[in-house]
Amino acid sequence: MTFAFDLILCLMILGTAAIALFVRDALAAIAFFIAFGNLMGLAWLGLDAVNVALAEIAIGAGVTGVLLILARARLLALGDAATSTGSPLLLRLGALAACAGFVVLLAAAVLSIPPESGLDRVVAPLMPGLGIENRVTGVLLAFRAYDTLLESFVLLGALVAVWSLAPAGAWPGRPADPGMADAPMRRVAGTFGQLLLPVALVMAAYLVWAGSDLPGGAFQAGTVLAGGLLVAGMGGTIGLPSSDQPLLRAALVLGPVVFLAIGLAGVAAGGLLVYPAGLAKALIVTIEYTLFLSIGVTLALLVAGPPMPGASDPDPEGKG
Amino acid sequence: MADWFTLVAIFLLLTVAAALVRCWRGPGPVERIMAAQLAGTGVIGVAVVLGAARGDAAFLDAALIGTLLAAIAVTAFVRGTAKPGAKE
Repeated sequence: MTFAFDLILCLMILGTAAIALFVRDALAAIAFFIAFGNLMGLAWLGLDAVNVALAEIAIGAGVTGVLLILARARLLALGDAATSTGSPLLLRLGALAACAGFVVLLAAAVLSIPPESGLDRVVAPLMPGLGIENRVTGVLLAFRAYDTLLESFVLLGALVAVWSLAPAGAWPGRPADPGMADAPMRRVAGTFGQLLLPVALVMAAYLVWAGSDLPGGAFQAGTVLAGGLLVAGMGGTIGLPSSDQPLLRAALVLGPVVFLAIGLAGVAAGGLLVYPAGLAKALIVTIEYTLFLSIGVTLALLVAGPPMPGASDPDPEGKG
Repeated sequence: MADWFTLVAIFLLLTVAAALVRCWRGPGPVERIMAAQLAGTGVIGVAVVLGAARGDAAFLDAALIGTLLAAIAVTAFVRGTAKPGAKE
């Protein structure tokens, strides 16, 4: 029975991926990309990797889908037909060769892992020292905290890169107003934003808290927060802040800086990113809550795009 | 009991496939987005049923996140259309 489910799911994943790649209409490709992300989330659930499933459904299907839909609308506004046109044969063959080579390397790497060498048996005996039960959070925030620390700064770097695309004279302004142009639609979206943002906030706060012992964590929670902020922005419930607002800057760097400070303080306890015995859980939860806030605001601003000239806002209230 | 849940999950997965056929055929952008939403709803249903089959409440969190973020894609799509009610 489970085999039949897995088989149908695999066929559907391959089918949606192929359609998303080969269809000419941009919107159809986006719709199938969202469906692909949702089905991948199901596949991770089927493998009992709920942490990965949460991330895939939130980031892969959720916020990336929104980003692609907004990008298509922007292309249409610029006069692009938003359908793919033929590219030179050499370029296509080159892309095919590069992708095929990458897939072979990836498959070789995955197949070279002996099945009995799971990380779980290494991590499981170390978990009682941390006071949390979610092993993925244990790896991300304690045993491999160095990677997560760098990732949080990479996200910040991505926002700086997007901001650097601001046209001359627009800095330090606001991103283009993401709100609905039509007044009745804006009212409907505004009511929806007022409803959804608090719900998203509660859900995100729960996900961080649950992340200590159950599947969840700062990245998934930050994505949910970003989704709530985006809907509120599209409805005009919150105005986008200008990029030099001190409160906004503080919200952006809060998570990475707190993470770095706690990591440096660990030197006193024995080394960089070492948590003192007994305090591990409190410190991990502190890092995760600050990180979730920064990730949420950063992702929302990444989708909003660089500051634009003349992007005035009827509501001067910032969201930082 | 778990077998029954898995059977229901397979049925729901097939309804998702039917929704994706609508998404493929279109013809308009509105049909495609609504079909993608229908597929998303089906996937959330599969996640809930799968969670019941495995007895794992964390699957419900995945379903909740899917529900919360699915509405945002529609809002973004409506924002991109030129006029209310127009099919572009």
